[in-house]
Amino acid sequence: MIKQMNSALDFLRDKYGVGPGSIAKGPECFQLVLPDGNKVDLLPHRVERRFVELKKIIDGKTLEGISTFRFAAFRPKGDLRKMLAAELDLAAFLSGSDFSSLFATGDGQRVCNVIFRLVNGMSGCIECSSGLPAGTPLLDRHEIIARRGVASDRVVDTQVPQHSIYLWNEDGTATYTDVDTELFGLSDEAIWTVRAAFAVLSNPSLAASWNQAAIVSLRQAEAALKSALSGTPVTF
Amino acid sequence: MKPVKIAMMGMTHGHTRKYYQTLLENKKLDWVASCAEDEDAKKVYALYKTGVPCYLDPDAMLAEHPDIEAIVLASANDRHFEQMKFCAERGIHILSMKIPTFDMKEYDAMIELVEKAGVVCQIELEMHYNPVVKRLQKLIAEGALGKILSVQATNITLSPVWAFPWQGVPEASYGSRVPLAPGDRRFRGGALCDHPHIFDLIRWLTGSDFANVFAQVAPNLRPDIEVEDMLLAAGKMKDGTAFLFDPSWSRMEERLKVPAPGWEVFPKRMEVNVTITGEKGMIQCDCFGPNVYHNGAPNDRYTVQYTYFDEWIGLIDEFVDCIRNRKQPRINLKWHRHTIETMNACYDSIATGKAIAI
Repeated sequence: MIKQMNSALDFLRDKYGVGPGSIAKGPECFQLVLPDGNKVDLLPHRVERRFVELKKIIDGKTLEGISTFRFAAFRPKGDLRKMLAAELDLAAFLSGSDFSSLFATGDGQRVCNVIFRLVNGMSGCIECSSGLPAGTPLLDRHEIIARRGVASDRVVDTQVPQHSIYLWNEDGTATYTDVDTELFGLSDEAIWTVRAAFAVLSNPSLAASWNQAAIVSLRQAEAALKSALSGTPVTF
Repeated sequence: MKPVKIAMMGMTHGHTRKYYQTLLENKKLDWVASCAEDEDAKKVYALYKTGVPCYLDPDAMLAEHPDIEAIVLASANDRHFEQMKFCAERGIHILSMKIPTFDMKEYDAMIELVEKAGVVCQIELEMHYNPVVKRLQKLIAEGALGKILSVQATNITLSPVWAFPWQGVPEASYGSRVPLAPGDRRFRGGALCDHPHIFDLIRWLTGSDFANVFAQVAPNLRPDIEVEDMLLAAGKMKDGTAFLFDPSWSRMEERLKVPAPGWEVFPKRMEVNVTITGEKGMIQCDCFGPNVYHNGAPNDRYTVQYTYFDEWIGLIDEFVDCIRNRKQPRINLKWHRHTIETMNACYDSIATGKAIAI
């Protein structure tokens, strides 16, 4: 997968005249390795198009008076700590605020429910589970509730993600969701990792903030998992 | 079976109108009278043209209809104790709204009244009679998920306070004026008081009671009301099941005085969705769907139109069965006490910022 991602990154770099760098597997996540040896933790959710659009909706004041973020992420056999970190970082990214406190419940391994408060006064929750059976695609939902308007990456009155194409034939049922023409054919995970690497190469000032955010969100995820076991709120 | 002579009282609760069709159609019932809280409630009642006479004085209603056997107390929470006493003293069976009272001393007095009178007192938690919940309970009982690890549930709606103003008045909804927290200008009595269903449902699904709860309010979507409209609650059951509940009024509404088409601003006015993770897998369920959709009159907004509301049919069937066959309803005062106690603990958690052991 890394070879495929680097080939896609090279294509984008060549097309848009962006400097060198390559994707490598880091200790916690994929990283961008720069020619000087520096490494940048990649935060693919920050460039995923649905989240970019949600952020535009927030920053452009399409929503007014945000009250609550309601996030959910369910995966098969995932690393709960990393899942939580990604969702926590997404809340920080979308809101533009740090966390002030959180409380969590769960078993510390397969499920974790988090209620959080942001420094700007907004509230939110994350439903997180790695309890889906193997082979099941990711189920997630990100909803932002405001005095004026609600934004979400899920259709009203539905429970599961929709696909662009549904195919029914003698081989059974297949679905396809393609959202990137330039990187057509890559998996979603690969697309957003390549796009994240390309974002840092295009805008080097992201490197320091992403490295910091990656550390902070993992620490917060660890705090949430501890809170789930202790039943005690955590203040940051 | 002789039909049960039934009446309604109060007519100010948001669920009042949901009973009309069932009370008129169910042949095991004879709906003989209603008694409105005041002239305003009587006027709204008249809009529905039930053909059932409406009084303003409960004694006058009973004088005209001395054979009334049961009364649906469709009233504000702060009216329930007096009305329950009225019924119990006359040997009249009671169908109470979902919150009998938040005052635990009053709650225990209600239990005593009902037991002493020997009348049936059923609490209206209509989700028990919802077909999706019935299927969910069956799947869980059959072991489709194995041991339950976590339950997440929404019980979110628009706010009823414009049509049913008592739901925005702390004294009428919560029973007294208690600030949410030091420095918070809001009071107990909002969305949480409207949404006990998921707190009850998890007890049935797990067979366990609450061990602890943490709750947190968010900035109100409606800054001009006195009570909370956005909150979250999380905690653990005694069997270790973790939960996360959203009982908010997170769907905005037009400020109508009588519920009618066009009430919704957000397309879907109400949602009870449940996600359960177990040792063997996961379930997601939407208790109200699939639905139909339109963007027609009066506001040309895309709107979810629900396709079924079977809850009141099953609820009334159980009530009649309990009256005629001297049975205890599944949701009785004693059973429901722990749910109310836990909801009070949510408010305590909001006030203190700590998790509260139940």
